[in-house]
Amino acid sequence: MRPLFFLNPDEARIIDAIASHVIPSEPGSPGAREAGVVHYIDDTLAGFGRDLQGAYRSGLEALQAAVAPYGARTFADLDEERQRGILEAAEASPDVPDAFLGQFFAIVCEHVVQGFFGDPAYGGNVDEIGWRLVGYPGAQWGFSADQMRPGVDARSIPILTVADLYARVGTSA
Amino acid sequence: MTERFDAVIVGLGSSGGIMAEQLSAAGMRVLGLEKGRDHTQADFEIKHDELRYYQRGAIVAGVSVDPVTWRPDPGSTARVLPWSAGVLGTDEPLYGLPSIGTGGGTLHWGAAAYRFREADFRMRSAILERFGEQALPDGTTLQDWPLSYQDLEPYYDRAEWEQGVSGAAGNVGGELRDGGNPFESPRSRDYPMPPVTPGPGDGPFVAATRRLGLHPFRQPLGINSREYRGRPACVNCGFCHGYPCHVRAKSTTQVTSVPAAKATGNFELRDMSRVLRVLRSADGRRATGVEYVDAHDVLHTVEADLVVLAAYSLENVRLLLVSGINEHGQVGKNFMTHNFGWFASVLPDATNPFMGTFNASSAIDDYTSEIVPDNDLGVLWGAPIISVTGDLQPIEAYHLMNPRVRKWGLEFKHWLRDNYTHLHRMYSQSTNFPSSRHYLDLDPAVKDRWGQPAIRITHEWEDHDANAVTLFGRYKARIAQEMGARETWMDPARPPYHLSTHDVGVHRMGEDPTSSVTDRFGSVHGCAGLYALGGGGFVSYGGYNPNLTIQALTYWSADHILDTAGTRPKDLAAV
Repeated sequence: MRPLFFLNPDEARIIDAIASHVIPSEPGSPGAREAGVVHYIDDTLAGFGRDLQGAYRSGLEALQAAVAPYGARTFADLDEERQRGILEAAEASPDVPDAFLGQFFAIVCEHVVQGFFGDPAYGGNVDEIGWRLVGYPGAQWGFSADQMRPGVDARSIPILTVADLYARVGTSA
Repeated sequence: MTERFDAVIVGLGSSGGIMAEQLSAAGMRVLGLEKGRDHTQADFEIKHDELRYYQRGAIVAGVSVDPVTWRPDPGSTARVLPWSAGVLGTDEPLYGLPSIGTGGGTLHWGAAAYRFREADFRMRSAILERFGEQALPDGTTLQDWPLSYQDLEPYYDRAEWEQGVSGAAGNVGGELRDGGNPFESPRSRDYPMPPVTPGPGDGPFVAATRRLGLHPFRQPLGINSREYRGRPACVNCGFCHGYPCHVRAKSTTQVTSVPAAKATGNFELRDMSRVLRVLRSADGRRATGVEYVDAHDVLHTVEADLVVLAAYSLENVRLLLVSGINEHGQVGKNFMTHNFGWFASVLPDATNPFMGTFNASSAIDDYTSEIVPDNDLGVLWGAPIISVTGDLQPIEAYHLMNPRVRKWGLEFKHWLRDNYTHLHRMYSQSTNFPSSRHYLDLDPAVKDRWGQPAIRITHEWEDHDANAVTLFGRYKARIAQEMGARETWMDPARPPYHLSTHDVGVHRMGEDPTSSVTDRFGSVHGCAGLYALGGGGFVSYGGYNPNLTIQALTYWSADHILDTAGTRPKDLAAV
């Protein structure tokens, strides 16, 4: 397992389970789990998003309370159907102040999308899984007038990342 | 001993950068104080990163540094606006304050370089002529500008040629030209550059609007379509609106006027320096300098006969108010901001919306300003409808996706997979009228880390604002239908944002000090030697992006300052 910087392994499994509901994996079409989104989130919480550490810990507590009636140890140990049921209930009440679970789920959704579509340098979007899904060629220095013509299949343009651009300008960071 | 300069400029953005160049080139000794960094090109060489710039706002001040609060009406308690993605990181990060550092708002801007039209300068009169005074919404404080389009035309021209604007003229000296905007007000000459390469999604908009009998034209952009003044042509990277430019093709004073000011030898720039207040003579009738803190929070005082506030409309107001400059209670009144009326479509053919700049596209002016069609919604002033074809990365696409689609699960995954590369957007910045209900003041509770009060916005979308979005939504829906859109959706008529980098009007120009803050040159009434520049000076607000008018007004102010001072800048205090 890749090292963690903020979440503990149990918490990471739970976040990974939530992420796999936000962007599910399918045969031949990987999702948030394969893209390593949980590591983007963990990294973010240890750094740029440190202010949200409390929100995550409160959210995980609220989630645990929703899991308790089912007798499972954690959210990650529930079957997928029950997991989805809990998230659907949370989504339905995002603005109820004492139901923090809804807000927490909204935060996690946002972070899952960031980790899935952000540059791989941030720890998610492994093998540019997110970009391949939607046909986005990534960090291009520019596009030629030919590529700008209508009808061009952008999937024929090789995907580039920020790391590729550093290599291109000859700066090793 | 206190330092002395001929002029101090607060903020080296769109207007401050130009003023620095104009004054220092004329021989004045100028100090520029910029709260952000004096950016270098190396900072921006690899900026192709949606998380860093769009999501995390790398070149904007954080809400924890520059808090802005908002309330819908005086009876409500203001809360810190959740801008720059908000406290929980779940809000749309597009609606925030402008970028900071040299270049200011011209770093992040989408580079739409529109002139206002003749009628935009006499909006009140034009509405009264067509609809009568009773048509104006209750509480409106609308006035005509104290200057005309004809006054400003030479300065628009200068801004286009000095700062670098590409586009296609539609009306040169009254003569209409094919391919340009037939509804634009007469210009003295063409743009210095032809339009940039259009985004792939613009074709359907152009074809559809032509079929509908409308007149699409390529938008004027502060982006090079070819090498211009030592800066290269745009490479169509698609990280433009909200991003700095990695090749210097986008016009920002960081690469135009600020380097030119430095080259005069008369300009000193101190970055990471935050002005806390304007200093005045004992009787308050004359500006004498400013007080600022540097990057180490050391307090400094500098003296100058000329103090120019160019720190964005909201920050100009905050500086005036914390300095006690508000003789007639007009500072902060008449807040105006655009309601963008976003309308999105999924088109049959690929639009590849990540290619090229935001506005490498066309617009129509058939429904603009005073030629707004007769309508059943009481909309008194029109706006352009703008096609947006570029700059759309996947995270932003997620934020704007069809609200009818659940934003998680397989439905979500498949929707983005199937539709992202077919997205097209339109917007129209609807006019809002200045009103006694919309204003800025100092927040009584929230302070920044230097102990200064946050600026507080009191604003709610009025019926006219919402009706304009609804009316233009109908026009956009017709265009989308003609484009063969598979799905369409639009923003609510009363959107959740109240702050957008297009905030203007709060230190407006006028000849009467009891209903304005500055004269028509930006000179603050009742305080000699103090100028306030930028969109804060706007008197009314049509549907066009503010920046080119801000820059034209800055050249206009600079000429006035230099004409008045002659070749003896030290005599400015006698103005």
